[in-house]
Amino acid sequence: MKTQAGANALSILVFAALWEVAGRTLDSTLIPPLSQIAQTWLRLLMSGKLLANLALSLWTLAAGFLLAVVLGVTIGVLMGWFRHVEHFLDLYINALMSAPMTAFVPVLILWLGLGVESRIAVVFLFAFFVIVINTLTGVKQVDRIWVEMARSFGAKERDVFFKIVLPAAMPAIMAGIHLGMGRAVKGMVTAEMLLTLTGVGGMIMQYGSAFATDALFAVILTILVLAMATMRLVRAVDRRLTGWKAEVAVE
Amino acid sequence: MKAASQSRTGFWLPDSESTPAASSQSEAMVEVRRVSKSFHKTVKSQTTELKALADVSLSIRPNEFISIIGPSGCGKTTLLKMIDGLIPFDSGEILINRKKVSGPGPDRAVVFQTFALLPWRTVLANVEFSLELRQIPKEQRAATAREYLKRVGLEDFEHHYPHELSGGMQQRAGLARALAVNPLILLMDEPFGSVDAQTRQLLQEDLLALWQREQKTVIFITHSMDEAVYLADRVVVMTPRPGRVAEILEVPLKRPRDAEGVRRDPVFVDLTNYIWARLKKAMESQS
Repeated sequence: MKTQAGANALSILVFAALWEVAGRTLDSTLIPPLSQIAQTWLRLLMSGKLLANLALSLWTLAAGFLLAVVLGVTIGVLMGWFRHVEHFLDLYINALMSAPMTAFVPVLILWLGLGVESRIAVVFLFAFFVIVINTLTGVKQVDRIWVEMARSFGAKERDVFFKIVLPAAMPAIMAGIHLGMGRAVKGMVTAEMLLTLTGVGGMIMQYGSAFATDALFAVILTILVLAMATMRLVRAVDRRLTGWKAEVAVE
Repeated sequence: MKAASQSRTGFWLPDSESTPAASSQSEAMVEVRRVSKSFHKTVKSQTTELKALADVSLSIRPNEFISIIGPSGCGKTTLLKMIDGLIPFDSGEILINRKKVSGPGPDRAVVFQTFALLPWRTVLANVEFSLELRQIPKEQRAATAREYLKRVGLEDFEHHYPHELSGGMQQRAGLARALAVNPLILLMDEPFGSVDAQTRQLLQEDLLALWQREQKTVIFITHSMDEAVYLADRVVVMTPRPGRVAEILEVPLKRPRDAEGVRRDPVFVDLTNYIWARLKKAMESQS
């Protein structure tokens, strides 16, 4: 863990230095030096513009993602636990799992308008299916011997579900949530760029079309940091819930 | 083959395989009467019937240690699961303490071959699992679980996770979990089948010591003739396809049994040789 953190720091340092040098020598608006991007970033931060847009984006992200987690885990569990639910929904989930979600944006605009509801819906659609599939797989792959053991000690269906199936499926569910988080961030930026130009995605479109490359890169880097922070958050929750699994896995 | 039709009449016919000691019906702790079971397998709309058990009868006294031995496919695990009430059977009946088995009950507990410990629970929490299901209050649960961990020699490992323990220690935890609910009958499904030979021998000795203290009826499934004879009061030899009781053998070895000494005893040697001959014959007639 420690060596990885060190390697990360070194990698960032080298990359930043290369960028800075490239920016200064090329002297082009297309690749502004990192120091200039940093200054612009600071200016955007101080003006409050970045924070206001970031807050707007985060609210969309949180709402859509939490909705996807709650509904995705629920439906995934139902599909994994009840065979007829799986047979009934399998077709749609599989078809939509690999479908490009951007194709649904025009439909969402027609249904929900151009407001925050549509953006939340996009985030939801991006994250939902991968969570369903992972949860479903996790629930189905629970070792039968644990269920049999629980039954032999007198477990009712409820006990089997809460004491065996749910904890046993938790690593797979968390893996789905992890993937879903990444997709949710993509959905958030996509929605802000394709629907109404708001949030950090809107800023990208705005600065991009204005050739304000330093501001453009400042926003892009902010989104990268945001994406990484959200992933870290999920991983921290994951470690809390399934710490036992990390130790079992032989890598 | 005629088992099904006979048993449907509802009469119980005493079978010739019961030993005199076990023939007294009221004494039996476990009474298996003419039980048959078939599995149905459908491949491409063709259903084949696999007869797992045919007309199996067995009577087990309270506090008796019974080993069931037989080659793979003789239905010994199926029989154990039916006694536990985990799977239904087609005909016949199984009685525990004169009551018909209709599902798992608090009078029985299983020790599994693959231990079946929950990897997300500590050893203590694994032992508590069986008590949790019986709605025993939290403090009492922990106290009971600790007590049984001590009896199997795991008192220093209660906060460990299963994967941090050796196979032998994991099975000790599995045994503690089963003992913690204080069952009358311990059903052991090849419990020492997945540990190394040395550990296996130690576990056998400890199991016998525990059994002598705890007063339990034990049904112990095994592949090993040596293990079957060393542990049991009687050895049930089963033959496969369909699973039948071929023979029930008394083990006239005195207890407590010294692990090394008893294996040199001519009675022990003769018995294991006889069982091997019996199994070999059954397996040869198969192939």
